[in-house]
Amino acid sequence: MNYLVMYHLAALILFGLGLYGITCRKSLVGMLISVELMLNGAGLALVASSRLTPAIDELGQIGTLLVMGLAAAEATLVLAIILIVSRRFGTTEIAEIATLKG
Amino acid sequence: MDLHSMIHPAYGLYLALIVGGGVVAVFARSLVRALSGLIVTLFGVAGMYLLMAAPFLAFMQILIYVGAVTVLIFFAIMLTRSSDGESGTEGGRIGRGFLAIWAAVFSTLVLAAVVVRHMPNAIPLKPEVSMGRLGEFLTGPFALSFELISAVLFVAMAGAVLLGFERRIAK
Repeated sequence: MNYLVMYHLAALILFGLGLYGITCRKSLVGMLISVELMLNGAGLALVASSRLTPAIDELGQIGTLLVMGLAAAEATLVLAIILIVSRRFGTTEIAEIATLKG
Repeated sequence: MDLHSMIHPAYGLYLALIVGGGVVAVFARSLVRALSGLIVTLFGVAGMYLLMAAPFLAFMQILIYVGAVTVLIFFAIMLTRSSDGESGTEGGRIGRGFLAIWAAVFSTLVLAAVVVRHMPNAIPLKPEVSMGRLGEFLTGPFALSFELISAVLFVAMAGAVLLGFERRIAK
């Protein structure tokens, strides 16, 4: 097993943990933490693919940088959404935010 | 110096940081503890970037994620006072945890099988890309995405401020 596979398996572990968290967490903040885990896995896979194969180096690194920027923007927006939700509903438990539920 | 003629011992350390922190981040009851686990994971990923000779990304990881994103998440925990929000009941569905584990393990195993079977051979680690080269790349072929990410960041933050101004609505 070469080291490229090892790095990709580490990224997959992050992805799996994040996927479990986002489906199982019961509060919005917990889901946000899981999304950050998955985004980190994506960045790790990008860098490993560009550094350890004949691909263009800068492509992977700049791509990971853009992923980090998007993650920051996403965290900002999600923070605002969580604040609004907690103001309107008094909670951030996803089971209780069910106004649209039929 | 070839860091990757064999698996570097530091890889094990960083993998332990990533897995341990990730498990805490996903399974901890208290959200503050989960956030601490996330920070440990972020440092582990930064270490892996260093191991792949991408120090700029490692520093950006620490600067952006550990410095900014986790502080944002901490504010979210603090402003909603949801640190003990995870200790409630399962929300009615008995098999929800089981289904979540199944979904995560199944998709991870499928992807892992693809990775192990179809991964091309790795080449020895290339020399480190200088920061100046990265900057040229960012302002040359990637100039449009550079401008777009600035616009996205600006719009996201302006939108967040706008959302924050909303008056409290009587329920």
